[in-house]
Amino acid sequence: MSNRTVIPFGPQHPVLPEPIQLKLELQDETVVSAIPHIGYVHRGIEKAAERMEYTQNVFLVERVCGICSFIHALCYCQAIEQLQNIEASPRAKYLRVIWSELHRLHSHHLWLGLFADAFGYESLFMQFWRNREMLMDIFDKTAGSRVIISTCAIGGTRRDISDVHLQEILDTLDEVEKQLDKTLPVILNDYTVKKRTVGIGKITREQALELGAAGPVLRANGVAQDMRQLGYAAYGELGFEPVTENDGDCYARAKVRARECYQSVELVRKAIRQLPDGEILTKPKGRPKGQVISRVEQPRGELLYFLSADGTNRLDRLRIRTPTFANVPPLVAMLPGCELADVPVIVLSIDPCISCTER
Amino acid sequence: MINNVLSNLFSKPATRDFPAKMREIAENVRGSVEFNTENCVYCGACALKCPANAIEVDRPAKKVTFDLYKCVACACCAEACRKGCIQMAKQYAHPSYRKMDVVFQGEPLLTDANGDS
Ligand code: SF4
Ligand code: SF4
Repeated sequence: MSNRTVIPFGPQHPVLPEPIQLKLELQDETVVSAIPHIGYVHRGIEKAAERMEYTQNVFLVERVCGICSFIHALCYCQAIEQLQNIEASPRAKYLRVIWSELHRLHSHHLWLGLFADAFGYESLFMQFWRNREMLMDIFDKTAGSRVIISTCAIGGTRRDISDVHLQEILDTLDEVEKQLDKTLPVILNDYTVKKRTVGIGKITREQALELGAAGPVLRANGVAQDMRQLGYAAYGELGFEPVTENDGDCYARAKVRARECYQSVELVRKAIRQLPDGEILTKPKGRPKGQVISRVEQPRGELLYFLSADGTNRLDRLRIRTPTFANVPPLVAMLPGCELADVPVIVLSIDPCISCTER
Repeated sequence: MINNVLSNLFSKPATRDFPAKMREIAENVRGSVEFNTENCVYCGACALKCPANAIEVDRPAKKVTFDLYKCVACACCAEACRKGCIQMAKQYAHPSYRKMDVVFQGEPLLTDANGDS
């Protein structure tokens, strides 16, 4: 009891570029408890959203998270569309799926790279990020920007994808898949990697449910819950099945994301095959009035937007709940009992996006 | 193992020889905003649509002030302008030492009494 130490992990830490602080109480080298502190990068986006026009907010909410910018915009646009009783055209819905899944794919690449980096596997990190670069180039070509792609709009999408670009996407995906076949087995089968991840940061299915885990953290515990099952955008027509694993440890979470990469590739291919012709933008009419909750699946889990509007061109309230916020309590439950050296791997295994969490 | 060593020895580097070889800029990229105020009627539509408040239109003074450092290159202004005064240039905005440098000022439509523009 007497020789317990408290070690602060973060807010500045070499493996975790984002500012979250975990106060780790240690007994020798073993973590006894962890207390998270957040609030280092609060940007007041929710408040800013009340001051801007609801149409302009699309560009604001995209900046909540740079990695899944399109999905934030999608969630917001779907909420406004519900309030205004309009529906995006079929083509726009498919385009939304294509861009969403490409975002998921590049986000998972980013995570797999960072995960490899967390246990010191730098060359693997670079391999994944090189792959990711091909996906970023797709955004550059189809949307005109690499990171914040700004193609989602209320009522559809702002840009169309030409046939030439669709073919380019398909070719790139073939290449990405080929590279994944080469690099993913390293994460999944390598002896050292397995030593660092199997059985580490384990939580039970009950814990995950009780603590409100979201996304891959939940699915790694065998719970087939994914917001894409709601069938928003065109997901309902693509025959989507969530990826699950049963072990609930870091390895299972890596495996879920690895398999989701392939799933995203397949979803994009399917969406391109079934892409209908037609308009991409339905003109919105009137102003939003009422309250609505919109949910979509981000690469990290369920994203929830609550909107309240009173019929003017500004919103009363915008509330954003990001998946990392939901995954912090499970993270705190994962840490006790682990070694200090495993903390970075465990923290990364929830794919934390802190600036997203603090908005 | 030996295959990897050989292929790494004889393959091209994965990186580009920057700045000798630049990355190709995509066709319809939203690089940076380019004003062409010749046709501008100072209607203010662009300023109204801009989510970043980067444009200020002063109608009486016939002046368009554009703050490059506020601009998020969303292209809303280009879509809003009916006169086609705003284009998204196929190049990214250059860095600058001072924020003051980047305020773009449109020319008045009419020249004043001295003939100065
Ligand atoms: S640039 Fe276009 S939209 Fe802006 S004030 Fe001039 S004419 Fe109007
Ligand atoms: S590109 Fe967007 S942010 Fe930049 S001036 Fe135009 S509307 Fe404003």
